Amino acid sequence: MMADRRRINGPPGGTRPAVFASNLQSGTSATDRAQRQRQPSELRKIFLKTGLIPTASGSSYLEFEPSASLAAARANPKSLIPPSSALKLACTVHGPKPLPRSAAFSPNLVLTTHVKYAPFAARQRKGHIRDSSERDLGVHLETALRGAIIAERWPKSGLDITITILEAEDDRWWGSAPDSHDASWGMMNVLAGCITAASAAIADAHIDCLDLVAGGVAAIVSDEPSGTSTGVPKLMLDTDPAEHRSILSACVVAYMPARDEITELWLKGDSSKASLEDGDTRTGHEALIDGAVDAARGAHTVLAEAVRESLLRTVGQA
Amino acid sequence: MSNQRQASSASQVPHLSPAELSYLYTSLSLPKTPIRPDGRSPTQFRPLTAETNILPGTNGSARIGFADGTQAIVGVKAEVEKTILSNETLARNDGGVGGEQEGSAAVGGHGSWVQMSIEIPGFRDDDALPVFLSEMMRESLVGAVGTDETSDMTGGLKGRLVINKRWHWRLYIDVLLLSQPLAYPLPLLSLTTHLALLSTKLPKLKSQGEEDPFFDDDWAVAEYLYPRPSLSSGAKSSARSSFVRPPVTLLVISVGENIIFDPNREEIAVADAVLAISITRDSEAGNLKLLSIRTVDPPSRLTQPGVPNSENVSMLGAVAPTEDVAVLNPATGEEEVPGVWRPRRGGVKRSVIAEMVKTALKKGGVGEEVLEGLEGVEVS
Repeated sequence: MMADRRRINGPPGGTRPAVFASNLQSGTSATDRAQRQRQPSELRKIFLKTGLIPTASGSSYLEFEPSASLAAARANPKSLIPPSSALKLACTVHGPKPLPRSAAFSPNLVLTTHVKYAPFAARQRKGHIRDSSERDLGVHLETALRGAIIAERWPKSGLDITITILEAEDDRWWGSAPDSHDASWGMMNVLAGCITAASAAIADAHIDCLDLVAGGVAAIVSDEPSGTSTGVPKLMLDTDPAEHRSILSACVVAYMPARDEITELWLKGDSSKASLEDGDTRTGHEALIDGAVDAARGAHTVLAEAVRESLLRTVGQA
Repeated sequence: MSNQRQASSASQVPHLSPAELSYLYTSLSLPKTPIRPDGRSPTQFRPLTAETNILPGTNGSARIGFADGTQAIVGVKAEVEKTILSNETLARNDGGVGGEQEGSAAVGGHGSWVQMSIEIPGFRDDDALPVFLSEMMRESLVGAVGTDETSDMTGGLKGRLVINKRWHWRLYIDVLLLSQPLAYPLPLLSLTTHLALLSTKLPKLKSQGEEDPFFDDDWAVAEYLYPRPSLSSGAKSSARSSFVRPPVTLLVISVGENIIFDPNREEIAVADAVLAISITRDSEAGNLKLLSIRTVDPPSRLTQPGVPNSENVSMLGAVAPTEDVAVLNPATGEEEVPGVWRPRRGGVKRSVIAEMVKTALKKGGVGEEVLEGLEGVEVS
């Protein structure tokens, strides 16, 4: 046995806290479930600020507005568990800097993206080593940004973009069991936030881009009203997965409004069941992409304002 | 190594000169009639050889080789595992509120029960390309949810893995690319995985209900993971389509105004946009259904630009200034000198994406052709 005798270690399999029957009655009742209070096309407020990390050449901090149910739960606490979480992330940009001597010649700027959840970011603890979903997010982010950066203006240079996610979105309401449509929906909101924040940080580092690229999410959700079992799937913008019973399909885009182009598209799930308005001849996935683009346009206004602030600060310093 | 670091979701930086890239782009972007380097039509796939059940130690396996020499082997292994019910699910058993949802984790299955690993020579297993490919293929596999309430495949693949409330199957899909990744390996790996899953068999369950699982040790009566029509009932192509099939991921590129399927290495190097589209057959309607779309970083963004004669110092005075004038490329909205390569910038228009998806999904289109071709492979 290679047991560690020097430390007192916890049990290997993990433990489960005791759950008392008296807590259950109030704890997991359906009324405590987070509900979407916004209109289907209403976005959450975004807090975006640049230049908070002085050692980096560009940085930004992004926060989504917490849902109304979280504010209600804080004002009138019934359970220790918060009903939903809101995205908080920090992005730093280092560079453009010369590539190491050992690297091969590159005629373009070499972009490296690194997305990491803080261990405490999600309800399930994340390890210190990036897992496959974090690497996947990094690749998505890189695709989104590489289309926007004018890379041939920095030959033989590298640009490192590091994102730390301090609080992630939930994949579903914490109390509900995963159903057949379950997937990592929270990751898509995280990616949209990463794109917007990284775009602000790149602008803060004064790196030439075609346009500010903003991220947006739309989803087709079926929220059955209590009683009936089948709800009508509806298109909603900027969905918080904790507020919905079942997300059928979701889409995140990185969008450049000035060119009306998408640099990154990630759509998954069954989008064919969406009920659109009468006379709307779009197919489900087209409506979903258009919805995500609308959400990205909303985020772009915040992004433009944050970049303007960043510029004013630089001008003021000079 | 540094080349691989640059190429994240795209396979490799193309080693083509700007002149070659420009030539390829021009011939591929000819309006309506693209000329591909290997003479295929825009929707034609590369010829391939396929066989299944080649690995006796697995539950299902397949090998596909393309004519250019790239080969992939996929092995599928299944393992019985105890379902860990979360606290919340347990709590519902005695709380009256969630009675309808009771134990739905055990009924609907869980996406993490399908594990996928991809091995590509020259890449570490935590490099961006293998991670991106495996996430992309796993996402569409577990995302395919059947809508037919009566069939065995209600919850798609996830639902099929449920044995009872306390036990489930865990599926390991191991993909091995045997050759160097000459082209972007996605179509090859996706087709091979599809075939391997079609040939996967699970031992027949003898225990019933909530008993601990106990299986028939006769391999001959094992059941297919994806149930197939019995031969006695006269398998017609119409009946065949009502069975759930694993998804297929197609690689689609747009060059100019043309949409091209299954690009080889040279074609993907000049693509304006690259999309991976996962499709499957809708068990109800019989037509094709979209499962996921992902953009892939086009390698054309990493290429070296060509220098027009007017800016070339060694050609100073040799050309009349009117000879190369930048014109607007309608597909990309960029100013370009004809015949001089510029790396791609920017993204893709929504109309192009819609057109790509439509071509893949339409009746009698590429998607149906691929799925029918794969069903034609003799799965013994």
